[in-house]
Amino acid sequence: MNHDDIVAGLVQELRRGNLILLVLNRLQKPMYGYNLVKELQAHDIPIEANTLYPLMRRLESQGLLTSEWETSEAKPRKYYKTTADGLIVLNKTTEQWKAFTQNVEKLLSEGENQND
Amino acid sequence: MTNDLIERYIYAATKRLPKKIRSDVSDELRTIIDDMLTERCANTTPQEKDIRIVLTELGTPQELYEQYNPDSDKCLIGSPYYSTYKYVLKIVLICTCAGITLAMIISTLVNALNGTETSYASSSVILLRDFFVNLFTSLPSAIVWAFAFVTILFAIFYHKNIKIDNTGNLDSLPSVPVKKEKISKVETIASIAITIAFLSVFLICPQVLCMITTKTNTFIPIFNLDTIHSTWYIIIMFGVLGIIRESVKLIEKRYNKKVMITSVITNVLSAVLAVIWLAGENILNSDFVNYTSELFADSDKISAIFANFHLFFMGCILLALAIDTLDAVVKTLKSQNKI
Repeated sequence: MNHDDIVAGLVQELRRGNLILLVLNRLQKPMYGYNLVKELQAHDIPIEANTLYPLMRRLESQGLLTSEWETSEAKPRKYYKTTADGLIVLNKTTEQWKAFTQNVEKLLSEGENQND
Repeated sequence: MTNDLIERYIYAATKRLPKKIRSDVSDELRTIIDDMLTERCANTTPQEKDIRIVLTELGTPQELYEQYNPDSDKCLIGSPYYSTYKYVLKIVLICTCAGITLAMIISTLVNALNGTETSYASSSVILLRDFFVNLFTSLPSAIVWAFAFVTILFAIFYHKNIKIDNTGNLDSLPSVPVKKEKISKVETIASIAITIAFLSVFLICPQVLCMITTKTNTFIPIFNLDTIHSTWYIIIMFGVLGIIRESVKLIEKRYNKKVMITSVITNVLSAVLAVIWLAGENILNSDFVNYTSELFADSDKISAIFANFHLFFMGCILLALAIDTLDAVVKTLKSQNKI
């Protein structure tokens, strides 16, 4: 049995759900896509540009992000920012996330003790 | 040259995207690639090698397209329709194959009876050859039609979100059928196959229903071919009613009110159609009537039967419809009082 493949798949699933939460959180101040990629990578959250850009576009179509082309700088860039709706979603989901991770951690540590 | 590679890459990734987001995505990709190159090469000018590495890191154009495509998670027929689609498609294809094969057997046999071959050995080889030629010319198009029809129907169901079963509500869950009220799947599929055979014979080759003259060894069609051809819509409606009736049986899998009501309604409509279709004056081939009245000139009774063959045929259809209706009603009523 190839454990590595299964683990890689599971980790990817775990990341995918949390990514939206992180994006909404980080974009409370306007940022362009590549900037966000670098910032997440700096916090040990690896993310591919080709995943993040389409994701931001989807969140924008849902009304959670808003975007604007900034042309005053040397390079034109598209800046994204979390909308008011995005903030409400972010706060509610963050609460859920905290409660959920607490419960998961509790169960996982109980499981570890059983193995001892 | 190097910029050309980037532009070709962006074009390949965006060419199939919806028009309204295409240029925006292109601009966005250009800035990502530029940012990645700047990071990689700092202040030096990027070489083609750098561009290749960055583009490889970004993924293939196809991968990018799938990520950006707003319809990427959509499909022609998705869950929960797919399993029903597969089930219905299987039955429809079985019925089509069986029906067409049956029709081709009838048509080949009748054509052979009309043939002039004298040697049995050679005629049986020709018979077999004709059968396979007929089969392989009509079967593929029939299968394609059946496949397309079912697929389009279910694609519409899926995209319009049309409900096709109501087991979501606990109260509407059907009770487990007891043995006597179950409808045999084989019988139902056979009925559909026979209906398709009937449709094919009447629509494609009504001339195979004929009588062979002993004198000139030619064949005389029983029905007036022009009338049959001009009443194609009645034949199709007749067939569709039969298929609807049997399909409801297949879906319900047991005798219940729904089966009873559809059987009664479709059978009454079929009976009306049969009367309209066969009661007309010109439905029989006049040559056939003349020939049989000559042939059975010594017996008025037999020649009367052939002269009114359409009414005899209509009687058979009406009798069959009546038996089917009675069967559905009696079995349903029995299953309602099964306690």
